[in-house]
Amino acid sequence: MNFTFSFSSLLSLSTAFALAPLFMGVIVKVKAFFGGKQGPPLLIKYYTLLKLLKKGSVYSSSTSFVFQLGPIISFVTAVMLLLFFPFAGLQPVLSFHGDVVMLFYLLGLGRFFSVLAALDTASPFEGMGAAREVFFSALAEATIFIILALFFRLSGSLSFAEYFTGTQVLTLWSESAALIFLVLIALFIVLLTENCRVPADDPATHLELTMIHEVMILDHSGPDLAIIEMGAFCKMLFYSAFISCLLFPFHSGTPVFNAIVFTIIMTLVYAAIGLVESITARYKMDMVPNFILTSFALVFFAIILTMEFVQ
Amino acid sequence: MLQLTYIIPLVTGIIVFSLPVKPGRLILLATAVVHAVITAMEWFHLTAPLESSYFSTTPEGMLVLAILSFLFLCISVYTIFYMAETEMSKEPVFNGCMLLFLAAMSMVTIADHLIMLWVAIEATTLMSAPLIFVHGSRESLEATWKYILICSVGIALALLGCFFIIFSMEMGGIHVPITFSSLNTVADQLNPIWLKAGFIFIVIGYGTKMGLAPMHTWLPDAHSEAPSPASALLSGALLNCAFLGVYRCHLLMVESGMGDYSSNALIAFGLASMVVSAVFILNQNDYKRMLAYSSIENMGIIVVGIGIGGLAAFGAMLHMIHHSLVKSSLFLSAGNIFLGYGTKSISRTGGMLKLLPKTGVTFFAGFAGISGFPPFGLFISELLIILGAIQAGRHVTVSLFIFCLILIFAGASRLVMQMVLGDRPEEKTLIPEKWMRALPPIILLLSSLALVIWLPDSIYQTIQQAISSIGGTLNG
Amino acid sequence: MIHISNILLAMILLSVLLSLRTNRLMALVKLMAFQGVVVSAVPLFQTTAHGINVNLILFFILLVLVKGLFIPGLLFIAVKRVVSNREIEPIIGYHASLFAGLIMIVFSVYVTNHLHLANLASSHKLLLVSAITTMGAGLILLMARRKAITQVIGYLVMENGIYLIGTALAKEVHTQYVVEFAVLLDLLVAVLVMGIVLNDINHTFDDVDTALMGQLKD
Repeated sequence: MNFTFSFSSLLSLSTAFALAPLFMGVIVKVKAFFGGKQGPPLLIKYYTLLKLLKKGSVYSSSTSFVFQLGPIISFVTAVMLLLFFPFAGLQPVLSFHGDVVMLFYLLGLGRFFSVLAALDTASPFEGMGAAREVFFSALAEATIFIILALFFRLSGSLSFAEYFTGTQVLTLWSESAALIFLVLIALFIVLLTENCRVPADDPATHLELTMIHEVMILDHSGPDLAIIEMGAFCKMLFYSAFISCLLFPFHSGTPVFNAIVFTIIMTLVYAAIGLVESITARYKMDMVPNFILTSFALVFFAIILTMEFVQ
Repeated sequence: MLQLTYIIPLVTGIIVFSLPVKPGRLILLATAVVHAVITAMEWFHLTAPLESSYFSTTPEGMLVLAILSFLFLCISVYTIFYMAETEMSKEPVFNGCMLLFLAAMSMVTIADHLIMLWVAIEATTLMSAPLIFVHGSRESLEATWKYILICSVGIALALLGCFFIIFSMEMGGIHVPITFSSLNTVADQLNPIWLKAGFIFIVIGYGTKMGLAPMHTWLPDAHSEAPSPASALLSGALLNCAFLGVYRCHLLMVESGMGDYSSNALIAFGLASMVVSAVFILNQNDYKRMLAYSSIENMGIIVVGIGIGGLAAFGAMLHMIHHSLVKSSLFLSAGNIFLGYGTKSISRTGGMLKLLPKTGVTFFAGFAGISGFPPFGLFISELLIILGAIQAGRHVTVSLFIFCLILIFAGASRLVMQMVLGDRPEEKTLIPEKWMRALPPIILLLSSLALVIWLPDSIYQTIQQAISSIGGTLNG
Repeated sequence: MIHISNILLAMILLSVLLSLRTNRLMALVKLMAFQGVVVSAVPLFQTTAHGINVNLILFFILLVLVKGLFIPGLLFIAVKRVVSNREIEPIIGYHASLFAGLIMIVFSVYVTNHLHLANLASSHKLLLVSAITTMGAGLILLMARRKAITQVIGYLVMENGIYLIGTALAKEVHTQYVVEFAVLLDLLVAVLVMGIVLNDINHTFDDVDTALMGQLKD
């Protein structure tokens, strides 16, 4: 295992962590723009977090400690994700061979505990949301692991650090452009699904019956809700950074320049999410698996192609 | 000069769309006459030879063109008098499409470029589709939809076949124009595997158009639902054009030394078509469908004959000529029957000799012709094919061939007897028959008879040239 | 930027997959327009070895106009005028179609590998794979959808696939613009005639469901 406690790595990690809510503000702004509204300020998510942290938490008497454990574990796993991620081509804080597999299981662990917390409330709505969440992410997992298998074939490695740092990086601007293109589209679909965005799920919906993720956290309040939100921001940041790395055109340049370009690409990815949310409607619940399976089919195409072209 | 055979109908066809009915009919007739004149001039070598990178004259093409031109002349006369009775609201469209259809078919007969041939054959599909659904009835729409979709998809596969053949040329490392005439000269250098693949796709593609089983499903629908003049044209001329596409590729295969492979494929498709039509003709209650299945059978006979080669190849070419003449005569008679009885159902017709004596005679005579009775040419051609098959030692083929012929004859004769001689409860007809509508079928039948008694030397020579490269000859 | 042609091919595969799973007619028509544009751009980047000349560019513009504008435009009008129920009614479900698409690509890779095309560049291999997949997907659309208009779209997808196969195998055709133009004209007229028939079918049957058409049989 490699520990890299260099200044730049720690700086990039903390910057990413600090900027996660800001990027979410970008989505809100883009949606407001397409709705013809001015929208809330860009820093809205920081205000929301502060507001929630100031409040106290309310726990139902029928819940157990599992209910309180859920938010904490999901937050911690989400932050751990960022430790492994090479932002802007810098060495991540932690990396070892096979860390990609662990990363996605960390995500799974967080999800498992938030599902447990939801079930702990014994509310029928939350149970329904949990069932949907697990179903859809299980489908998305198929896509993720095919992508990992594909990346293994392309680079011979199972570590994020090796995918995106050094000289032989995976980007859209290389030999295997066609494959990366398909992966990009698939990853974007996974991003939308895993982070409960339109068209798989609508975070702004009003009716519990139509929710997936939001309904699971209905009973959380105050600081608990704040760390759940923050965990969600980190997860979103992780996926967007993943996509941005694949789009990242050059890996030479000075670190500062790289960081600026990377931030711009990140902003564009978030803006794209906002754009998709503005121009599409949420799918009927029975069309969501179809949507996710498309991403699977895309990466399946890609991996079939690698069997052939990258020996 | 020969390009005029498709340019003139193309232009007049477009003009007819916008004209009222009466001048439209005149132009239809005039174009048919001009087309026939041009073809005749070309046939007797009165014009300068064709100089083009996409078109050329071939003996088999000239044969088909001559049949087409003659048929179209007869059918256009018939069309004018037929249309006068039916009061069709879309007659300008019908006449215009007839002309465009003629243009597309003429183009097929002279196309030399692989892809140009494809373009022309696809154009025949598109131009003939409006002819079928011109009634606008439910059945005719269904037939059109099947026709256009099945044929388009089939012909798209033929395009794939063309690409394969072009690729076989590239694999062979040769660079010549992509025309049949130049490919034939370098046929032995083509890559055999890709040529084979191309041939199979082309046979499937153009075979769909030609009505070879099992791709024939659209044919009975389209031929029975189209107005009779269009059916006559589809059956008598269009099928020949599709056959031309198959035949050109077969020639290429023979030149490249894979004649056995393509012959066997053709015989298999041909026999399959004969069996299918024999099965379906037995229990038919629609006389136009019966004729359509008979067309499938005859196309089967032709490709079997070509596949066998030798004497049979001569028979096949002869069969193509006589089938066109007799079958289109039958479809024109069927049109008269339809006008007379107002139905296509066999069980509701009958007593034709009393009610429609002229049509009764032409229909019966045509039936005798199509089943291969002696005074008509199909007797000779089928005999030649059978003799050729025996000569070539293909005994299984010949027994299946004869068995199907007998089956079809037995099935169809029962139906025709009922139509011509059977009883009919009410003793009146909707529209009485007229000489002008009875004349074209009679002329077509008589010309078939005339060709039996006296086959002009130029036709004989042309057939010989057309089949010489697959080893076909009458003196075999 | 030497990999543009690969990205184009990936886009074609993307459009093929999306067209297999979409349940909306309008989305399908838009996909057709997208696919048409991409397909017509492919030869432009395949022939860089021979250099790009004016004719090629002009023909590209023509192709884009026909495949990306006219044909989808005709389909668009047909959908607007003819189809009241804009949902695609599949005979074979979306998931099964998607799965069929996956099988199709496995098959096409298998075929491409077993052709032993020594003189085919590796970029052409990818082209061939996407071409065969596109063709197969067109056939699936043709057979697995009930509406007459989706059958037209299936035919067009198949035609695109065949065009791509032509690009991969028979480069020579793409330099003969008269022939190319004639093929294109045929395609355009085909869609036009099919559109007219569709219109009449809709008038007569009040729907474009092919299940209503089953009267002609033996």
